[in-house]
Amino acid sequence: MTGGDAPTWKVPPRWVLLVAVLSIVAAEVGGGAMARYKVELTRWARAGMQARPEVHGLVGVRDVDERILDEALVKFDAGLRLFHMHAEGMGLVIIATSMVAATVIPSPAASRAIIALLTAGGAGYPVGYLVWSALIPSYGLERAKALAEWLVWVPFGSATIVALWCLVGLVAWSMLARRRA
Amino acid sequence: MTNAGPGTAGSFLIMSATVTRPPLAVVLVALVMLALGETAGAAMSRLKPEIQRYAAARVAANPAAHGFSGSAEYDDEVRERAIFTAEAGLSFFHLHGEGVGLVLFFASALVAARVPRRRTRGVLYLLLVAGGLFPLGYLAYGAAVLELGRDAGIELAERWILAPLGVSAIAGLAGLWLALARRRA
Repeated sequence: MTGGDAPTWKVPPRWVLLVAVLSIVAAEVGGGAMARYKVELTRWARAGMQARPEVHGLVGVRDVDERILDEALVKFDAGLRLFHMHAEGMGLVIIATSMVAATVIPSPAASRAIIALLTAGGAGYPVGYLVWSALIPSYGLERAKALAEWLVWVPFGSATIVALWCLVGLVAWSMLARRRA
Repeated sequence: MTNAGPGTAGSFLIMSATVTRPPLAVVLVALVMLALGETAGAAMSRLKPEIQRYAAARVAANPAAHGFSGSAEYDDEVRERAIFTAEAGLSFFHLHGEGVGLVLFFASALVAARVPRRRTRGVLYLLLVAGGLFPLGYLAYGAAVLELGRDAGIELAERWILAPLGVSAIAGLAGLWLALARRRA
């Protein structure tokens, strides 16, 4: 169904689509790598943790240490899985929401700002899970989580949430304006 | 689908034809679900202790619904199970809000672009929008577990909210599939 007086979509800028597709590709590659290199990744993380016993609270007693290492390795694996899942989802969210912003928001400056926030936030947020996993061997569970949270999740997640609610408001405003016109 | 202005700097022509979009009301529901899903995810992470405290208080306020026996050991286990289930409801809401929001967006975009009959489009939009509200069932699931007890809360949310909205989503997607298949034939 094309043409006529029916409302149509506008495509967001090319860089936005490239970032979104790159995020999806990275998620796919991450998922594949997680499965293919599971043993190597686990070995790397385990070696990193054993090299810093004081960070992880390892005491040199096998029964105690194995439990601590297992818990940290579960979180390490969870971080990789969550990256895979979020990067795929957020790639699609960027495409959908930036298309709405490009189509519905009449002001070019507002449209650009919201698209920039949606794209940066959507692509950046999942990287926090990779950062979390990568930092666990060096900094321990809690410190790695705090670093990922304040360096990545809070700024990029906030950008996405703020931009999404602004977009919701602007779409609702646009509906009201069209009804009045 | 068209770009904002062919030939302008930074624009990129994906397709030569224009592609119609669904009504803004449908787009708005999809966006609200995505925004709620995102916000719930952030709340789960940043407000975990507060959410757990609130859940524990609601369980304590409804002892009969949770079948408290007066035995501290048994009651603690029941309380923990109810709080875990309520948190699971919020987690499912986050997950489904994001996923179903996207499904509603892309499915309704397909309806707008590929279903020629106006009445058919209207019915499909209605079914898909109702299905798009499916994640709200998980919010009700979490709240009902705290207020009515675990089993009664799950039963209520599944029977009266999740099942009807889920069936609506399935019917909308099946209708879209049929409309696409019929158009091709």
